[in-house]
Amino acid sequence: MTVPAILRRGAGFLALWLVLAGLNPGDLPAAIVAVVAATWVSLRLLPPGDRIISLPGLGALAVRFPRQSLEAGIDVARRAFAPDLPLNVGTVGYTPRLPAGPARDAFLAYASLMPGTVPVSVNGGVTIMIHCLDTRQAVVQQMANDEARFIRMLGGADA
Amino acid sequence: MMLLGDIATGLLVSAGVVFFLAGTVGLLRFPDSMTRLHALTKADSLGLGLVVLGLLPQAASVLEALKLVAVWLLTQLAGATVTQLVARAIWRGGGRS
Repeated sequence: MTVPAILRRGAGFLALWLVLAGLNPGDLPAAIVAVVAATWVSLRLLPPGDRIISLPGLGALAVRFPRQSLEAGIDVARRAFAPDLPLNVGTVGYTPRLPAGPARDAFLAYASLMPGTVPVSVNGGVTIMIHCLDTRQAVVQQMANDEARFIRMLGGADA
Repeated sequence: MMLLGDIATGLLVSAGVVFFLAGTVGLLRFPDSMTRLHALTKADSLGLGLVVLGLLPQAASVLEALKLVAVWLLTQLAGATVTQLVARAIWRGGGRS
């Protein structure tokens, strides 16, 4: 673990502290403790790797996210408010291209915010289950498209 | 300009509240834990997104606007992570019901 990598991580948490708590000299001791603790935990759980996030890939994901969040919220609201509660609940199997690990977990968490799906990793196996509100929707296709975008964001060349 | 900002705030925050209500209605009406999870993650995160978007025109400074966006981002991150943990716990418990 290199010193610049540690400093970069710490600078990120310091920036987050300043945004959330503001610049206040009285807060300095608390800020230092929080930033050091957050940096330590973060480096332990997610050691700095050589993976570089692709900015255009992140941009593409960020541009798409509000639309999908809107779609997901409207989908749930429509079903929740409908008197006959139109649900067609079920699970669909899906084999992610990302191997089991932090990158896949990040994608699954991201996919929980996408319309109609909550993916569940079953004991870190190869195949995951996607829990759907409506199995008639093109769930697997949507997952595959989102995963391709996610891999592109992680700097994957093959997506 | 102020008036436009205030109108946007009113519309967006009201829309956000409707989605929070939808999430709660879903929580009460949906049949099992997994479907309730859908209701909470999707409807509430959109609700918060709209409330934050609606409050941005009222922010007194860029830092305050950034703070609103940071709160939204952290909530999305926490919501998505907790959803994953709860979903796994439901699955491990065999509780597909």
